[in-house]
Amino acid sequence: MMDAEIITVSSDTKFVHLAWQRDEMELKGVKFPMGSDTTGKLARMFGVYDENTGLSLRGTFIISPEGKLMNSEVNFYNLGRNIDELLRKFRANRHLAEYTAEACPAQWRSNGDLTLKPSAKMVGKVHEAMGK
Amino acid sequence: MSDTCSCLGCNVGETVPDFRLETYEPAKGDFGEISLETLRNNGKWTILFFYPADFTFV
Repeated sequence: MMDAEIITVSSDTKFVHLAWQRDEMELKGVKFPMGSDTTGKLARMFGVYDENTGLSLRGTFIISPEGKLMNSEVNFYNLGRNIDELLRKFRANRHLAEYTAEACPAQWRSNGDLTLKPSAKMVGKVHEAMGK
Repeated sequence: MSDTCSCLGCNVGETVPDFRLETYEPAKGDFGEISLETLRNNGKWTILFFYPADFTFV
């Protein structure tokens, strides 16, 4: 994903990030910059800061090259994220930024899959447009 | 809905204010800094991946 930067963010310092990435074998392949949000300022900006614990909920946010927030997903502490779904949403966003008249239906997975072009003709006829 | 989000939580469709973070960069094995402004100027999409804390489990 040359045109995207994934940044992981927690309230730990960059020193702790280093220690964790170095010691935890599960993180050996990690290449993403690990951001340090010790004040919780960024977590608050995205509404994922938990005032009771000082920790951040599992929030995932996709921001366009124009700086617009395109997706927002927040899980509680005990539920991990599905990376396939994150990548699907990212690919869809990138596609839709280029083909602005289209929409990606729920079943859309990657480039080449059927998209919809909402129009007067399609109203009430999505079933037919989906080729069913 | 305003164009730029408030400090109480960005909504989808709004512009995210610039931010800056200190980082550890495993790819370089070194510390660094990253800002949304720089990423935007380089035409990059940005994916933020918040999690509670290092040395946790999910």
